[in-house]
Amino acid sequence: MEILVCVKRVPDAAENEIAVEGGALRGDDLVYSVNEWDNYAVEEAIQIVEREGGSVTVVTVGDGESEEVLRREMAMGANQGLLLSDPAFAGADGLGLATVLAAAVRRGAYDLVLTGAQADDGAAQVGGMLAAILDWPFASLVNSIEAQGGLLRVGREIEGGAQEVSEIDLPCVLSIQTGINEPRYVGLRGIRKVASVELPVLDAAALGVAPAPARVRRIDYFVPPAGAGADMLTGSTAELAGQLVELLKAKGGLK
Amino acid sequence: MAQILADRRDIDFVLHEQLKVEALSAHGRFNDFSRKSIDLIINEARNLAVKEILPTQVDGDRIGARFDQGKVQVPPSFHKAWKALREGDWLAMTEDPDWGGQGMPRVVATAASDYLMGANFAFMMHAGLTHGAGKLIETFGTDAQKRLYLKKLFTGEWTGTMLLTEPEAGSDVGALTTTATPNPDGTYSITGNKIFISGGEHDLTPNIIHPVLARIEGAPAGTAGISLFVVPRIRVNDDGSLGEPNDVVCTGIEEKMGIHGNATCSIALGGKGGCRGTLLGEANKGMRAMFMMMNDARLMVGNQGLSCASPSYLYALNYARTRLQGRHLLKMMDKSAPAVPIIQHPDVRRMLMLMKVHVEGIRSLFYYLAHCSDRIAVSADPDEKARLQGIIDFLIPIAKGYVTERCFDVCSLGVQVYGGYGYIREYPVEQLLRDCRITAIYEGTNGIQAMDLLGRKLGQNQGRPIMDLFDEIRGTLAAARDADRAAPLAEALEPAVIRLEEVARHMGTTALYGDLPTAAAHAHPFMEVCGDVVLGWQLLWRARTAAEALAAGAKEKDVPFYEGQIRSAQFFTAVLLPVALGRMDAILSGCAVAVEIPDDAFGGK
Repeated sequence: MEILVCVKRVPDAAENEIAVEGGALRGDDLVYSVNEWDNYAVEEAIQIVEREGGSVTVVTVGDGESEEVLRREMAMGANQGLLLSDPAFAGADGLGLATVLAAAVRRGAYDLVLTGAQADDGAAQVGGMLAAILDWPFASLVNSIEAQGGLLRVGREIEGGAQEVSEIDLPCVLSIQTGINEPRYVGLRGIRKVASVELPVLDAAALGVAPAPARVRRIDYFVPPAGAGADMLTGSTAELAGQLVELLKAKGGLK
Repeated sequence: MAQILADRRDIDFVLHEQLKVEALSAHGRFNDFSRKSIDLIINEARNLAVKEILPTQVDGDRIGARFDQGKVQVPPSFHKAWKALREGDWLAMTEDPDWGGQGMPRVVATAASDYLMGANFAFMMHAGLTHGAGKLIETFGTDAQKRLYLKKLFTGEWTGTMLLTEPEAGSDVGALTTTATPNPDGTYSITGNKIFISGGEHDLTPNIIHPVLARIEGAPAGTAGISLFVVPRIRVNDDGSLGEPNDVVCTGIEEKMGIHGNATCSIALGGKGGCRGTLLGEANKGMRAMFMMMNDARLMVGNQGLSCASPSYLYALNYARTRLQGRHLLKMMDKSAPAVPIIQHPDVRRMLMLMKVHVEGIRSLFYYLAHCSDRIAVSADPDEKARLQGIIDFLIPIAKGYVTERCFDVCSLGVQVYGGYGYIREYPVEQLLRDCRITAIYEGTNGIQAMDLLGRKLGQNQGRPIMDLFDEIRGTLAAARDADRAAPLAEALEPAVIRLEEVARHMGTTALYGDLPTAAAHAHPFMEVCGDVVLGWQLLWRARTAAEALAAGAKEKDVPFYEGQIRSAQFFTAVLLPVALGRMDAILSGCAVAVEIPDDAFGGK
């Protein structure tokens, strides 16, 4: 099975103090990594290929810096990487990104496209839009995949702890939920293998797309101030825990 | 967000700004290790360390290795971490890919180890000793020995150890009594008892390979009659499959102060007459082989010290930033003033500064040493290779002896910053202090390190290595004089360098022509002042690098980091260097009291 996995380089939530300036995260201060959900999607793709044969391609839309996330996912086990990069893609909204990705999908012969369920800095929209542009079936929040001939049997996580199982025709787009697997660690052998691999870069002309100007634009970005009814505890972890216990006791949550 | 184990910005600074290690990738053997690959390696080492190895740290301490009827069980969580370590090929990072290694520069492996060992060094000892045993077999082994053991060691399928110490042969290795009797088939029957064998028995892997020091029947007494043998726990058939047990029996493990996760075993060899080994290297040349391994092992122990000190510093730093206690000193009288994070209290800041300068200076020293090895590996110039190797050899006792003393001090300060909580098991600094303590003892006590520095290293090759080291230091002094804010720091360090040259001459002369016992009584202080000057050198090198980066217009987020580098060197030269100079005066005084005091005058009778 030929699988394309869309991945994204995002500010690492575990690494960054939130520093906001002029309605945006301050870029200079950020440490980036692969979007957490995407690791699960890549792991799932690798496992499917291990069972069914085929290959895994990872793709991202971004500048030269984004190459590092492709290389990382290839060190993990993806077979090829593809960087979609053009100044015209900068500032694209979800639809713009989906348009660019759709052009890349059409250039290949993929049976399956995976995305993370959402990105740390995203809106959980690209997977669905991509499927619509391609006119492919789509399942979101997928937490299990089983190949059955020409179709897939996918499990989806439903609110309230329920599980839904669907059959979906190939080719299709799936957005992958964390917990579907345990993403493998990247080892030294993998890193060495991809150390000197040249990654193909496709620009707008090569893809034959000209994404429309973003029609969704972020106008502000901030950490909300503590509002009424919210009690912000401060202190060390041990103190926080102590205060929390006292609060729970006082409010009747703990007897 | 608060970092744990090791400060990533600091690691990147030493690798890429202080040492500029990417230049190594211009050489064929290190082609794969561009800046991007190096950064990815460090990312993934940290990822593995934090997610898989760190969760074993408390298990190692609380559950510990358990002994029952000749078998040792490691804590259950060790198994998963070992599997992940193996799958990622982290066991023999620098070794030959043909034997399962990854051919990495040592300096990059050292940086990765900052995280891996920082997460749980008692667990990682299994890997370190395995690597050491493999290295012995790679260097001295026959083709058959390599074929049977090497790849399985370097890939962690089996582990390795080192069987050296006996009840009456610890620091005095030459006194060992384990014997090897030749058999007609070329093997040897080994008989004897070994103690203090780290990782000597466990259930982590199906076999354990023991390099064993023993004396062939009739060999000369002392170290000149010691040979090295490979003794598998389970015999290995010619096709690599496991055969019969080899009469290697663990008779007990020690109850220790720390590193409970690594079993310290007593091992009986050939108790039933059925222990077979093969000679590794030449007969009676075991000590030579042992010294080669010991150099690496001593560096590893120094690194273990850092792997306690660096996490302790970061835990203490984070605690000091979040723990509210007491009013600000200047608002003491204002009852309504809020409690402040304890990092605002000057004495806490003093402790954090002490921790910071030592962790940073020691990190730079280890990366520098590893980088010297890499430069040897890529150099075609035999003189340059010899020069660098001389500097490494000279610095090894310092990187073990001086470093582990300072790392223990850092861990003790870590406990102190936490106050009463620091003494409580619930907080990680308590375990780090206990775990760290062994590093001053094993692989040659720090007293032995000091004697190695004085007795072997100082006079080696007519004193060439120490002169080469002083040249390196002078190079840094000269460069720092042109680097703006680092210039006054160079001025401050230089008198200590000049004074140390005088002290070294004094020590050399006293040991050779004067009064050897008195020189030996000052060997440890001598090691300490050498260490202080080396630390000052590394901190100056950092400060100069930072001053240049600031002068060139650093990114906003980097400014506090660079500022911190200059402050570290300022603190060291103003606060710690005068103490080192005082110590040098004490050495030069030639005080012989410790030697001359009558035994009875110690009292206590």
